[in-house]
Amino acid sequence: MSRPGTLIEPKTVSAEPLIQPGDGLISVVIPVVERADELVNVYRSFAQALDARGQPYEFLLVFDGRITPPAELVMLARQTSRVRILRFAREFGETAALRLGIEKSRGDLILTLPAYFQVRAEGIGALLDTVENGADMAVAHRSPRLDSWLNRMQSRAFHRILKGVSGQQFHDMACGVRAMRRTVAETLPLYGDLHRFIPALAIREGYRVEEVALAQHPSDTRTRIYRPGVYVRRLLDVAAFFFLAKFTEKPLRFFGLVGSAFFGFGALICLILLIQRVEGQGIANRPALLLAVLLVALGVQLIGLGLVGEIIVHLRAPHRRAYRVRERT
Amino acid sequence: MRRNDHCWSGGVRGRIFAVGPEWGDQLVMALLNRPQTTSSPELSIVAPLYNESQNVRPLVDWILQALEVFPGTFEVILVDDGSRDDTWNEVRAAAADRRVIGLRLGQNVGQTAAMMAGFDHARGGIVVSLDGDLQNDPRDIPALIAKLDEGYDLVCGWRRNRQDKLLLRKVPSWVANRLIRRLTGVPITDNGCSLKAYRRDLLDRIALYAEQHRFIPALSASVGARIAEMPVRHHARRYGESKYGISRTVKVLVDLLTLKMITSFRSRPLVGFALVALPAIAIAGVFGGLFSLTHFGIEKASALVFPGAGLLSVGAALYLFMLGLVAEVALSSERKGSFDTPAAVEVR
Repeated sequence: MSRPGTLIEPKTVSAEPLIQPGDGLISVVIPVVERADELVNVYRSFAQALDARGQPYEFLLVFDGRITPPAELVMLARQTSRVRILRFAREFGETAALRLGIEKSRGDLILTLPAYFQVRAEGIGALLDTVENGADMAVAHRSPRLDSWLNRMQSRAFHRILKGVSGQQFHDMACGVRAMRRTVAETLPLYGDLHRFIPALAIREGYRVEEVALAQHPSDTRTRIYRPGVYVRRLLDVAAFFFLAKFTEKPLRFFGLVGSAFFGFGALICLILLIQRVEGQGIANRPALLLAVLLVALGVQLIGLGLVGEIIVHLRAPHRRAYRVRERT
Repeated sequence: MRRNDHCWSGGVRGRIFAVGPEWGDQLVMALLNRPQTTSSPELSIVAPLYNESQNVRPLVDWILQALEVFPGTFEVILVDDGSRDDTWNEVRAAAADRRVIGLRLGQNVGQTAAMMAGFDHARGGIVVSLDGDLQNDPRDIPALIAKLDEGYDLVCGWRRNRQDKLLLRKVPSWVANRLIRRLTGVPITDNGCSLKAYRRDLLDRIALYAEQHRFIPALSASVGARIAEMPVRHHARRYGESKYGISRTVKVLVDLLTLKMITSFRSRPLVGFALVALPAIAIAGVFGGLFSLTHFGIEKASALVFPGAGLLSVGAALYLFMLGLVAEVALSSERKGSFDTPAAVEVR
């Protein structure tokens, strides 16, 4: 895939020392896809919090095509190497923005933030400490929650469904505040809308993920009600994630089981109809015949699809491995 | 299916190459010769472990003891497949011996992937895999290697006196082995035994995934390996629990279909799909004939059943053909893989 995005680099050489990768640099990646109204404030408060920590850092702001970078940040990007601005030529969405940010970042530790406030900036140290103390990824969990019961109810329903299908217990997958090691960020398969499932993806890749409770920001309490289409899409996301997690390596386990159930049921009805026909009963005007025919056809198609899937998986097998070595002696 | 018989026969005199008939002689290639550095051992033992903390120490001791008679250098690779118990600490303790290497996987990925992890890290020209639960006997390893040296790429253990529950383990396994034999034509009695010896060249040609460790002989035969089988000892479980159950036999049946597709039609999926589609067209023809007989004949039958069944068959056949074409497209974009060239032996 080509890598769209233009980069605003500092034009004047500033007085500050050049940051070298490897000396504990933190890269803060902020995908800006929906709105940029709080962005300047987000930058200021998190920059302040990171200043207080005394570790070197850089901000990578990735703007989706629709959004114009605020003039103040563009000025900053020209003056200092601490702020870098990337901009897509058209809309590519949050996952692509995150990936571009991760690719262009130089830090050993990557902190992703939403372009608006979800948590208070002061608590961010706890998240970074968790990764520095050995976790592969630390995800923020807004707690205690200040927003309305409607928000909390939606969130709880989403996480319950997620737990039902994947068995993973998370409390706040919607929170975009996540810190991770560079190697982790680089191995995550980020495409489509998978940015929502980053912690779950990391667990699937065999990484250690920890949840850290951070205070919710007061401006994050707006009650969120979306169009019905958004909820449908979210459910489809979960379904796709579940399918990928379980059947990427063995598509026929899924298509074959469903397909042979259809086929078997259809064949059974056919058999019954055949017996009835032999006994002299007319079957031409029976709706069961239509059903049987449909089921048999569907069954064959599903099994065939599964086999094509198996061939594709088999062809990819030399290049991929399901395991990740965490330690070796 | 044609049976690839000289895959496991060796020892023809004369300067020819023997290749499996599936590829024809134009695909003959030289043997792969993995360069061996002086530091790498000659033999690698791979044992996947999942929640086997009590078994680690006895297993390692047993292996080391059994290999005292082995003249060359060797390494033992213990793969901790994301155990939740104390297995990793036991492995670390065992790795105090320089010949023992421990690998800890990030999460539980199952026996096949854990074995692949071991194979990928194994440096020996000969690799032996065995279960981490002490049911296989490491004392059989020298015999397996001796057999391998007779000119085989894969020697499979055969648990002749299997010490497992009859109804839950032995009967399903017997049925599965029969099915695999019938389907692939590879005459191996016991596909499920983990105790196997491989030549490195073979391991470089098969990439196992999902739960394919059961199908190693069939998959190896499909890339041209010469395979032998020999009886090995088998012991009842001493510590811990078996991680198998009867529920997986259903899954194995679906996997068998995959296996057939991969081993027989990997390089020509359209043929595989056509083998189902053509009979469907023939059936459609039969239904068409029946329809014309009844329609234009004396007794006027309904105009629904026969044409319906005929059209359904035509539809299914067309659909399968198209799927076969899609599979060919997928294949043509991947052709360059190391996969397509089968193994061959230079016969002198």
